[in-house]
Amino acid sequence: MNNIIMHVDANSAYLSWEAAYRLQKGATVDLRNIPSVVGGDEQSRHGIVLAKSIPAKKYDIKTGEALFTARKKCPNLVVAPVRYELYMMCHNAMINILRDFSPKVQVYSIDEAFLDYTGMQAVHGDPVSAAYKLKNRIKNELGFTVNVGISTNKLLAKMASELKKPDMVHTIFPEEIKQKMWPLPVKELFMVGRATAPKLYRLNIFTIGDLANADPELLKYRLKSWGKLIQDYANGIEDSPVSENARPPIKGIGNSTTIPFDVDSMDEARKVLLSLCEMVGMRLRQAGFSAKLISVYLRNSDLQGKSHQRKYEAATDDTYNIFNLSAQLMEELWTGEPLRGMGVQVSELVPNDILQVSMFDIPNEKRRLLDQSIDDIRMKHGPKSVVRSIFINSGLSPITGGVIEDFKMMSSRF
Amino acid sequence: MKFSCNKQDLMEAINIVQKAVMTKATIPILEGIYIETNDSLKMVGNCYDMGIECSINADIQQKGSIVLNSRMFGDIVRRLPNSEVFIQVKPNFNVIIECDNSYFEIKGLSAEGYPMLPTVEEEQKISVSQTSLRNMIRKTIYAISNDENRKILTGSLIEANDGDLSMVALDGFRLAVAKVMIKEDTNFKAVIPGKNLTEIYKILEQSDKDVKITLSKNQALFELEQCRIISKLLEGEYMNYKNFLPEQFETNIVVDVSEIIESIERASLITNDDKRYPVKIVIEDNKMLITSNTDVGISKEELLININGNNMTIGFNPKYLLDSLKVADEEKVEIFFSSSVGPCIIKPIEGDSFVFMILPVRIK
Repeated sequence: MNNIIMHVDANSAYLSWEAAYRLQKGATVDLRNIPSVVGGDEQSRHGIVLAKSIPAKKYDIKTGEALFTARKKCPNLVVAPVRYELYMMCHNAMINILRDFSPKVQVYSIDEAFLDYTGMQAVHGDPVSAAYKLKNRIKNELGFTVNVGISTNKLLAKMASELKKPDMVHTIFPEEIKQKMWPLPVKELFMVGRATAPKLYRLNIFTIGDLANADPELLKYRLKSWGKLIQDYANGIEDSPVSENARPPIKGIGNSTTIPFDVDSMDEARKVLLSLCEMVGMRLRQAGFSAKLISVYLRNSDLQGKSHQRKYEAATDDTYNIFNLSAQLMEELWTGEPLRGMGVQVSELVPNDILQVSMFDIPNEKRRLLDQSIDDIRMKHGPKSVVRSIFINSGLSPITGGVIEDFKMMSSRF
Repeated sequence: MKFSCNKQDLMEAINIVQKAVMTKATIPILEGIYIETNDSLKMVGNCYDMGIECSINADIQQKGSIVLNSRMFGDIVRRLPNSEVFIQVKPNFNVIIECDNSYFEIKGLSAEGYPMLPTVEEEQKISVSQTSLRNMIRKTIYAISNDENRKILTGSLIEANDGDLSMVALDGFRLAVAKVMIKEDTNFKAVIPGKNLTEIYKILEQSDKDVKITLSKNQALFELEQCRIISKLLEGEYMNYKNFLPEQFETNIVVDVSEIIESIERASLITNDDKRYPVKIVIEDNKMLITSNTDVGISKEELLININGNNMTIGFNPKYLLDSLKVADEEKVEIFFSSSVGPCIIKPIEGDSFVFMILPVRIK
């Protein structure tokens, strides 16, 4: 029996998640229908475009460009802030629905996952109708759309989900490769990027079909083993398993900020650090991990940076702990020079559902509940709905950060 | 300086004092072994954290002293034939080593400036058999912490109290206490660095001969028949470990040690090298189920046991359970569980020669 693999990909994830969230909160305008982008802060007016709506695309706004130039292209552009915790929530909700369709789910990135549907036909019916069920459940229950690609391996499933968007189910079974995949431009093939495509063009390879039928010796000569890999991909050959939690998809969580003025007192530095830790703690808990390694980064007004890290035997996800440990690291590292940038990063994550209990860090149940309640309030009413009183009249932001870092990036093999 | 001695005796002594010689030091003399002939042959290795002095029988023809590079000297002697070794120091500090048909002449260093072992003021002294001390170290040393943030826990607490001598190690996730009786009615407390205890363990023999332990303010002296070992002490207050030991338990069971070791070992075969996966223990109906569920697969083990108290489901890092059970040296032990997220305690059925406490893994 052939394997049945599905690839589920959220359509313009950050933007549609934000849009769905706003609609749930009673917004009347759907961000997806107006020129809008996700990235940076509307007020401080800096940052880059992380995701864009289809109407924004019409203004030639590109992912990765500065908000400043994007605004020039479209003056009435709506800019939504980056909200990591919302994305984690949507990600988790999406994965939970996927798990209803098969126990074998591989989280591939924050907005993509593979699902091994092999043998599940008896429960949820034929793959295509199951994919429609899956897609529609996410649309109806969570309010955003996904593309589902179906095939016999992960590569073809992923290629299938990349076909026409949004809100579609596609198949590329081996017998369909010729018709559905080969006519596509070669740069659309997984793992053929900006570096490889021009090399292929020089060999007169412009479509995936050209690559599939190219002389293997020529490819080997020009591209070494890479040539064999992408030619296999062009022929739909790939056989890696759907490996659920092979390792946590997140390696670390970091948060950093550039401060618009010189920080030169310990008191101020601690406050900036606290505002960074608030977000780190929240993200860590949202992701369901505790961290063992804490690292602090400082940058002075000459833009020189230095960092200091320490590994702790007991993992923690407690904001108060993370702040105290990182404040200690900062005090050891800082020699008093004026600071313009600070960062906190936590890594060596262990999942909270199998956490080794420690004698020293006896989990403070009260503080855990407090963190949890504050997280809930902030999720519901915005990050600044509850702030620590120490920030009142301090002129400093009580919570800093927003940009997603360290989610496992696409790697060359699945 | 001129002497001769048996190769085996010499090698044994070198092996012992080498444990206290730095392999890489800023000055060459610290990478050396100090050799002195007086009434007997004495050798010293010293790295400040620990110093060892060893005496051996030798035929001494001329008194004197010299320092020889520890690795070089050790490597040469190790490969000499099993015969009498003749050693002689020339006025230019060159050392001649002869044995049967072998001849070496290697450079030595003036013994002047070698850090000799400090004298330990005899304040409090106890004695215990080598076997007992060896066992105490073995039963506790695995629980020493590697966490340099809590330096004091990288050592073992050695505590004499009204005729009891106990050794304690803890790393935050488990705690091990071993106890023996001593004749002396002394009271003292000291924390000895774990890596020194590891070396002392290797020097101790399975024998009823005594080892005398003397404590001063910042040093501990271990005296054996042929050698003296001085260890630096770790500064600071050791944790009040007794506070961590729970007194009330929900469940206790009696298990056969080798049976449970084998079961846990089998169950943990499918945990990955990163030791991330716990084993789950379910206790009910006079049975103990040991299961593990990892990305590789699942496994299940069943043991018949005697239960006292409530049913219990609890997770553990299998390594922690195995480390303790393997040094229990008992046929059966009693295991006490305080709760499914609280510490568990392993004790012998009779007596109090050890107490092992292990904290569980919270599983959902």
